[in-house]
Amino acid sequence: MTDYNKPIPDPDPYTSGPFWEGAKEGKLMLPRCEDCNRVHWYPRILCPFCYSRSISWFEASGEGTLYSFAVQQRAFAPGWAEEGPYVTCFIDLNEGDRMFGVLLDVDVSKPEDIFAKIGSKVSIEFVKANDDVHVPYWKLAS
Amino acid sequence: MTNPSMAAAIVGAAESDEIGFALSEKGTTNTQLHIEAINNVCKQVGISPREIEGVFSAGFTPQIAEYLHIRPKYIDGTAVGGSSFELHVHHALAAIAAGVIDVALVSHGESGRSARKNQGRGTGGRGGADPWAPGAAFSGGPYGGWGAPFNYAHAMTRHLHQWGSTKEDFAQIAVSARDWATLNPRAVMHSKETDPNGGPITIQDVLDSRLISWPLNLLDVCLVTDHGGAVLIVSAEKAHSFKTQPVWIAGAGESMGHWDMLEMDDLTLTSAVNSGKTAYQMAGMGPGEMELGMIYDSFTVTVGITVEALGLAPRGGFMELFEGGKSGPGGSGMPINTNGGGLSFSHSGMYGMMLLVEAYRQLSGTAEDGVHGIAGKQTSAQTAIVNGTGGSLSTTGTLVLVADQ
Repeated sequence: MTDYNKPIPDPDPYTSGPFWEGAKEGKLMLPRCEDCNRVHWYPRILCPFCYSRSISWFEASGEGTLYSFAVQQRAFAPGWAEEGPYVTCFIDLNEGDRMFGVLLDVDVSKPEDIFAKIGSKVSIEFVKANDDVHVPYWKLAS
Repeated sequence: MTNPSMAAAIVGAAESDEIGFALSEKGTTNTQLHIEAINNVCKQVGISPREIEGVFSAGFTPQIAEYLHIRPKYIDGTAVGGSSFELHVHHALAAIAAGVIDVALVSHGESGRSARKNQGRGTGGRGGADPWAPGAAFSGGPYGGWGAPFNYAHAMTRHLHQWGSTKEDFAQIAVSARDWATLNPRAVMHSKETDPNGGPITIQDVLDSRLISWPLNLLDVCLVTDHGGAVLIVSAEKAHSFKTQPVWIAGAGESMGHWDMLEMDDLTLTSAVNSGKTAYQMAGMGPGEMELGMIYDSFTVTVGITVEALGLAPRGGFMELFEGGKSGPGGSGMPINTNGGGLSFSHSGMYGMMLLVEAYRQLSGTAEDGVHGIAGKQTSAQTAIVNGTGGSLSTTGTLVLVADQ
């Protein structure tokens, strides 16, 4: 057991198994359509662009850019409620489409500084919640 | 395909007996708020609930019909968030234009405040999300998501970045809403007597209010109240057979871009661009002909983004409509949210019904009856654009309404 105190994602092995397997090894696995070659997120059983059911997974760069963010001053869920202000973010992935997550290691008292980083490079970091689930977080590239 | 424009009119609009914060120790219930509002609108119009043929509500339709012994010919429970009621009007228009029904009821009752008081605060987390939906594993609770503000804040951040707008620009929207609330005695934020944060307020007050989710401050965020409302819609043939004046449905449209904000392409553009286009086309009118705006204001950012999507202001230029109080009482521009809006009047969780009620009052010349509005609230508008936004900037319903000539 770890001391991870946040709500833990509930992985669906059928639609997103490879993501969670990759997460355990610190790899960002993304789904890509074998017919139109586009990456989509969140994972689905078919491609939302061309509706092909030929989806394969590949190891992505784990990098993207900061599209937008907000500093959450309060929360109600266990773990987040005690966290104090934290930053949620939308990340445009290098390979296409967008993920939602938490941006670590930023000064929450200076949102203007984070604001200036919109469009900047970020990279993924997985945090172990339990033996099965490693949760994706994001950090600004130094 | 025939154009359903003007095939139906709203002939009455009313609220529940009381609205606002905790109304009694016991609080109110959803059924109570629905039924009070329906009873009030039927009395106003001079119609018996038994004459209602189509019943429309956000997921509460069978309960309403049963309670009132209505035997409907048309049942619609579309529940897509706070915009649901604008969609209901669109659906009722279509059903009436198709000749299926002549009399439709759209109602809403939601004890948002009482529910919060009685059951404690939201808990975040999964809440039994469908494992195939993004909320289970890839958005929301596990990543610090909570309530509604956390999501909308990202849209405001993006607008500030993409268009160079400022927090002051957004704050003016809240200031004008409070100014309108001072003319609405039923508004929760009517005055400092009704609430310490009541109207009037300044831009600085908004900026100085508690941060909720940067860049959203408390006064950028809507209220959580109890309220109910109802409107009656009838066919063109019947529009002049009641005690009240008709307000015509010239255009209607609905659309959506996403449900989870994770799937929203441009955080500064909603599907109002599409629902608005449909409504304008049906009406044969454009944004330049709109004289009143009733624009869903869950947050200041909701209004800013929506008026741009509807073509009332250029992309990135929403502030043109609001600066210096232009949209407020006695302002030089288009009056917007003349009841005080969800920011200052009442917001139960799904606010869209109140947009309809106020638009009806303004266009029927009844916005200043002393109870729902005092001197200065009635505008001279003969046309109105009404836009509901539901979910996380997700679903939109747009109506073009015109006064009876």
